[in-house]
Amino acid sequence: MDYYIAIASIIGIHTLLGLSVYLVAISGQMSFGQQGFFAIGAYLAGMSTALWGIGLLPALALSAVVAGLIGFVVGFPALRVRGLYLAIATFGFGEIVRLAFLNVRYTRTIGDRVVGPNGAEGFRHVRYVFDRGFTGAHYLGIILAALAVVVVLYYLLERSKLGAKLRAVEEDETAAAMIGINVTQVKVLAFSAAGAVAGLGGGLFVHYSTYIDHDMVALPLAIAAVTYPLLGGLGSFVGPVLGAVVLVSLTEGLRVLHELREFVYGGLIILTMIFRPRGIVDEALVLRVKAWFQPRAARP
Amino acid sequence: MLFDATEQFINGVMYGSLYALIGGGFTILFGVMRRFNLAYGATIMAAAYVSLVPLYLFKAPFWLMALTGLAAAVLIGLLVEFCCFRFIKKGHELAPLVATIGMLIAVTEAIVHATDAAGLKYPSPFGDESFELGRFLIRPDYLAVLVASVLCFALIFLLLYKTRLGRAMRAVAERPEAAQILGVSVQRVNVLTFVLTSALAGVIGFFAAVSIGAARPDIGAFVTGKGLVVMVLGGLGSLPGAIVGGLVLGVLEFEATWFLGASYRDILAFVILFAVLVFRPSGLLGSRTP
Repeated sequence: MDYYIAIASIIGIHTLLGLSVYLVAISGQMSFGQQGFFAIGAYLAGMSTALWGIGLLPALALSAVVAGLIGFVVGFPALRVRGLYLAIATFGFGEIVRLAFLNVRYTRTIGDRVVGPNGAEGFRHVRYVFDRGFTGAHYLGIILAALAVVVVLYYLLERSKLGAKLRAVEEDETAAAMIGINVTQVKVLAFSAAGAVAGLGGGLFVHYSTYIDHDMVALPLAIAAVTYPLLGGLGSFVGPVLGAVVLVSLTEGLRVLHELREFVYGGLIILTMIFRPRGIVDEALVLRVKAWFQPRAARP
Repeated sequence: MLFDATEQFINGVMYGSLYALIGGGFTILFGVMRRFNLAYGATIMAAAYVSLVPLYLFKAPFWLMALTGLAAAVLIGLLVEFCCFRFIKKGHELAPLVATIGMLIAVTEAIVHATDAAGLKYPSPFGDESFELGRFLIRPDYLAVLVASVLCFALIFLLLYKTRLGRAMRAVAERPEAAQILGVSVQRVNVLTFVLTSALAGVIGFFAAVSIGAARPDIGAFVTGKGLVVMVLGGLGSLPGAIVGGLVLGVLEFEATWFLGASYRDILAFVILFAVLVFRPSGLLGSRTP
């Protein structure tokens, strides 16, 4: 049972990361730097509870807000570039954050433990949750509750005018600007909100694992974060959720295959891209599903 | 002070030429296909490992090791082209990128599995003794990297500007549809581009392992990071830009290591990358606006 709870927790946290990349993606941008916001959230939330004695919920809120603000600050310069340039610029941002934490030492001895970010050794003993007698199942509940809040916000966003603006910017920036959409504003807003979501994910993660170091937020995490929405599909927020659930479950479920596991995993990603290049939940599928809920006469 | 700066400058240029090669590999593929191959780092890493096989089997000389690595890289490159690029419909720019992530995972796993994730010692065929050139100490493996890079780039420029294939590649890079109409087989050019960049990956893998002193799984992430920085520093799709970007990055890293310490080296590289992207998005030599 603990095993499944652990997998579900990881899925929940990685879904937040995938949703973060997704939010940037539907404004027509591709970010390889969301793991930077994840790291900021993780370190900040960890320091809040382990060093400054702040409660879990304020710590999570703080990490989301600060990551969002940093997203806002980084968004302005970063969004001057597009496409692959932006992907690499954001990756550069993620690496700057990672390498900064590699150099940060801010420790205090509490009891017999050295707590705090300790350079290359990482940040150990973020034990707020488990010291207070929460079990893994309790904490999974917290993760899922946070995820539910974010998912509801995404649902509302996609039905709102702002959601339509995001899609318009993704489709054609010039055309969007011509009908009076403030493209920069929309993009920076998406980037900030995406930063907050990733920061929240990081804050949840560090309290789940009790540990974070710079290696955990390097290129592989960036690649995983981008894979979830691109494989799951960019048609709706269901895409990144599905992507994270499928990919993390596959990583675990394919263990029965032993040696062949990663080959099957890699092969499935390639096959999905060949047959569904816009991801599993692409725009066409979303439109078809929406049509089911329309009155029959309105169907095309 | 000035002497140290000069010595580190020389080291930086020599080692930066390896970065230039890495950036060149990414740049050629991006220039011709407008696609990005994330499995390239894994190809380089795998080439480094495979090139050790003849050494273990029969104490092969280093040129045979380099050739083995090169052959392995070309095979992997063809596999990447076949699986991740050939069958994906046109107009989906991100799909091949994700597919190469799948390939990256599979190739890395193959290597990790075959070696139990251990790094393997990589003996330098160029000796470990630094020699003196004037007053400066020169590492022989760095010098070998520089010589190899100059040779590789000379060959690449000859290929691109003096042969029919090179002309076809440049035509496809410029306008694939127009090239197709004029009778260039885009498919064939794509495959040959993969062969060329993968052969380069073999060379890079060999020299990266020699200079590090070991074949390690994290070579993949290392060269991917450097490749991205160099590509952007120089300007996406510009081969001279990749050379300049590689040398600039190499010099910066060596100077930063010497004057600031190793832990600030990488951070400086990425801060400069970010600054270049923001203030000069087309890169140091790029002319095309992004």
